Amino acid sequence: MSFLQFPHRRLPARCTSAGGSVLLVMLLVVLMQIVGVPLASAHMATQAQNSASHTANTFPFNVGSTDVQRLRNVIHNSQLAPTVKVLATSPAFIDQFPLVPSGIKALFPNATGLVTVVRGNRDDSTSDTVTLDVQNMPPNITFTIFLIELANKPFGNVEYVADLTTRGDGSGETIFRLISFLAFAMDARNPGTSVDGEGLTSGINLEHLGMWFSSLQDAQKVLNNDTLTGTIFDGGNPPLHAGPQAMTDGQTAPVL
Amino acid sequence: MFRHISSHPARPSSLPGRPAIALLVIVLLALLLSACDSPFAGTQNPSQTTHVATATSSKLIFPTTPPPLRVPTFDTTGQIAPTVKVLSSVDPTLIVQFPLFPASIKSLFPKASGLVTVFQNPVANDFDVVTVDVQNMPPNVKFTVFFVELSAKPFGHAEYVGDVITRGDGSGESVFHLITFVAFAADNRHPTTSSDQTGDASGIQLEHVGMWFDGVDPARQVLKNPAIPGTPFDGGRGALHAGPQAMTDGQTLPVI
Repeated sequence: MSFLQFPHRRLPARCTSAGGSVLLVMLLVVLMQIVGVPLASAHMATQAQNSASHTANTFPFNVGSTDVQRLRNVIHNSQLAPTVKVLATSPAFIDQFPLVPSGIKALFPNATGLVTVVRGNRDDSTSDTVTLDVQNMPPNITFTIFLIELANKPFGNVEYVADLTTRGDGSGETIFRLISFLAFAMDARNPGTSVDGEGLTSGINLEHLGMWFSSLQDAQKVLNNDTLTGTIFDGGNPPLHAGPQAMTDGQTAPVL
Repeated sequence: MFRHISSHPARPSSLPGRPAIALLVIVLLALLLSACDSPFAGTQNPSQTTHVATATSSKLIFPTTPPPLRVPTFDTTGQIAPTVKVLSSVDPTLIVQFPLFPASIKSLFPKASGLVTVFQNPVANDFDVVTVDVQNMPPNVKFTVFFVELSAKPFGHAEYVGDVITRGDGSGESVFHLITFVAFAADNRHPTTSSDQTGDASGIQLEHVGMWFDGVDPARQVLKNPAIPGTPFDGGRGALHAGPQAMTDGQTLPVI
């Protein structure tokens, strides 16, 4: 039976109001649907966040993290520089420390750098991931990055790890993957030993990080100083073609 | 009222009902459309469509043939190991490959093999990409990877690059991002020079690659020789705790 043939003749009169009600309800439904999608998304996001926080609160980070605890003890015992921040994760850990201007300080006093090292599970990871972010540096210049024995002159033993080329606004970043926390220099004919956070180790630990002008000419131009002399801080031909140190962690105690 | 209306059954019931039903149908259609529309709207990328339309209208033509390959110049001094293969690659990339051979593990793992692939974009390069692939190695063992001055004893200066952990079938691989072709060791207090593929350069060139057991205990176990002495070829965890060299490029002339 069709609704149109419904025998109650009073009903159609009501149908107008009932139809209006239905229309209103439908419009409300449509409106709610339109408004409800983002609301639902927001609700779901909130739920997800709550769930994440719940997970984060219950996940056993920090509790059994021997590496993080070890590092914190190392910092507490002044074996790591006070500028080093060890973030709480496990079984990996994240180590952050700033770089400050050295050779560029007079002309680029606001230059800043942040080094972030992610080290995976000691038993499973095969390298560390190092991210280096800089701001307010000389623009459009290539800098070399070295792991070094000493943060300041004479720098001692060094290891060339990567380059960073700044943009026109003086910012830049690079990411590289290699051994950083346990980096050391040695001549296997006479390896020697040194002490790090874990005690006696082979070779000479490279526990600092610095950036150098890859080109002496760039440095002379940027720093308006023709008397600057070449340094060893870049690879390849010719020798001593690099410029002075631009950024340093500036610490006496290790940062790596 | 009811009766009065019921005396005119057809008209009063149909006239007010039809608009209501029409409205209901429209609302339902609107509801359906809005329900169907959202996911489509969510998955469609307007910019993509515009881009396609633009591309079609501007009739962009894309290449249909592969880019030409060339064998780039790697060594200008003629002093590179015969095992090194410079691959044909698209300009400006440089891809170099060379094998690794078993050293101390040769008697027990004669089929052990390794392949090192180094990728470089010499134009825009923050680091080189090094892939180490091994097969038929001692299973479930961690090896360290070093750049070294000499491929065989006494190895000379060394740089700890990363690790490779083999699987149960003796295979494994690792990827590192770091300066490779111009890697060198130096003590800035006593800088020296040496020759690499481009001529004289600062420091002592590290032009060979080797792999070592990361622990002397696993080495003794795998090689069934409790008399194996410790070596410095791993960082941290006490001096001379690493095992003997497992794989080497075995060359006198440089491979990187």
